[in-house]
Amino acid sequence: MSEAVDIGPNIDPRIFDSEEFQRDPFPIYKALRDYHPCFHDRFHNRWVISRYWDVDGVFQDNESFDRGVYEPDGPYEFGTNHVFGPNILEYGNSNEHRRLRNIVAGQFVGQKLNDFMPMIDQISAEVIDRFIDQGEVEMTTQFSSQVPIRVISNMLGLPREDEDTFVEWYQLLIAGLGFGGEHMARGIQARNDMWDYIDPMIRERSKNPGEDLLSRICVAEIDGNRMSVEEVKGFVALLLAAGGDTTDKAIANMWYHLLYTRPDQLQDVIETPELWDDCFTEMMRFDPVVHAQFRRTTREVVIHDEVIPARGGVVLYLGAGNRDERVFKDPDTFDIRREDLHMGRENRSGRYKDGKPGHLGFGIGQHFCMGYAMARQESAISCARLMERIKNVRPKFADHPGISSPSIDSGGFRSPQELWMEFDPA
Amino acid sequence: MKVKIDLEKCYKAGECYYNHPELFKMGEDGFPVVLHEEISDESLIKHANEAIEVCPAVAISLED
Repeated sequence: MSEAVDIGPNIDPRIFDSEEFQRDPFPIYKALRDYHPCFHDRFHNRWVISRYWDVDGVFQDNESFDRGVYEPDGPYEFGTNHVFGPNILEYGNSNEHRRLRNIVAGQFVGQKLNDFMPMIDQISAEVIDRFIDQGEVEMTTQFSSQVPIRVISNMLGLPREDEDTFVEWYQLLIAGLGFGGEHMARGIQARNDMWDYIDPMIRERSKNPGEDLLSRICVAEIDGNRMSVEEVKGFVALLLAAGGDTTDKAIANMWYHLLYTRPDQLQDVIETPELWDDCFTEMMRFDPVVHAQFRRTTREVVIHDEVIPARGGVVLYLGAGNRDERVFKDPDTFDIRREDLHMGRENRSGRYKDGKPGHLGFGIGQHFCMGYAMARQESAISCARLMERIKNVRPKFADHPGISSPSIDSGGFRSPQELWMEFDPA
Repeated sequence: MKVKIDLEKCYKAGECYYNHPELFKMGEDGFPVVLHEEISDESLIKHANEAIEVCPAVAISLED
């Protein structure tokens, strides 16, 4: 009799479309890491990567993996695959992508970002003013979605008196992405309203540019040509979704884990507001908003003896790599005082002077989240401002259904649907 | 002109080499390597200035 070989649990790839996976993907991630580190998902025709250093390796290897969603030789019309219209995510690893990215990337880091700090402070205060007297707040609609969208709208240079309308459009748009059906129809309506609203502004600022981000996008030249009005709209929509929605959900995820997972560390953060930075880092490891990134091979690649052919689809589970027990001790424990994780500012290179591994929540390399520094600052500042003005903060309900992704269509963005808390004004 | 990187200030953010591979590349340890120490070409000087702008560590400088 031949010796039995442990090939581990079979993974039925339909699990990736299940409610169970939307709610709690972590046991499946573990099975993938332990037994199928390069899982050939024949049902979705793709390969699934789940260990930390494998995810890092794919991110670092631009020669073998491309971000482009199109087939270079197949039929493709620019902009057709995105709800938000044409945007830079579709350009893959091309020079065009890099040039488009460089137009705005500088606005979200360094001195330019520092210049925006007082505005983030002011917007946070205004948002908090609206609910501070009520003694309770539903964080996702009244706080976490309010701050980032007002900040980006301000950076774009949209009139402040239109911010409320803008927030409303944004909330409808995001709901439309996540839930389909009637939400979808309202989302598309909101998008069209927003585009009608912004259309004359684009034309005006193309002629008379100011110092704002919208002007910068309007007049930027790629190889001597400006972007079309449609491309500018796509760019603005992407900034709203990527810069608004993700930060919104990141803030909610932090508060969820402090309120429900680690009330003891909530006390630490109350006593030491600087810990908001570490809370942000650990949230980005333990329960980031974005769990998956997609790549396509540019040539045949072998990972863990599995052969991925050229033009093969690859899904990278950041959320799985972040819980890799080969890298992090007790990976399933949320701990803002963790010593085996690089705390503080993220690096696009994924390499740190302290030698510690960082979280994968922003990706790594060529397509590393452009707004990483802004997301961190916005989250840490607005949360610290809120905490200063409240005391005796507690969950309104003893039980919470937890963090999940609302549907496959939402792109798998994970956050609590609602998050009620009570407090006394400080 | 000379492109200088202060490796004490640099924290391997990677913005220079990912945004401007014409002028920088990632070294083995994650620190950037300058590909052309002396530059006079206008487009490379533009890349250097843009890299200075996006470097979050303020570690890059351009000297005569």
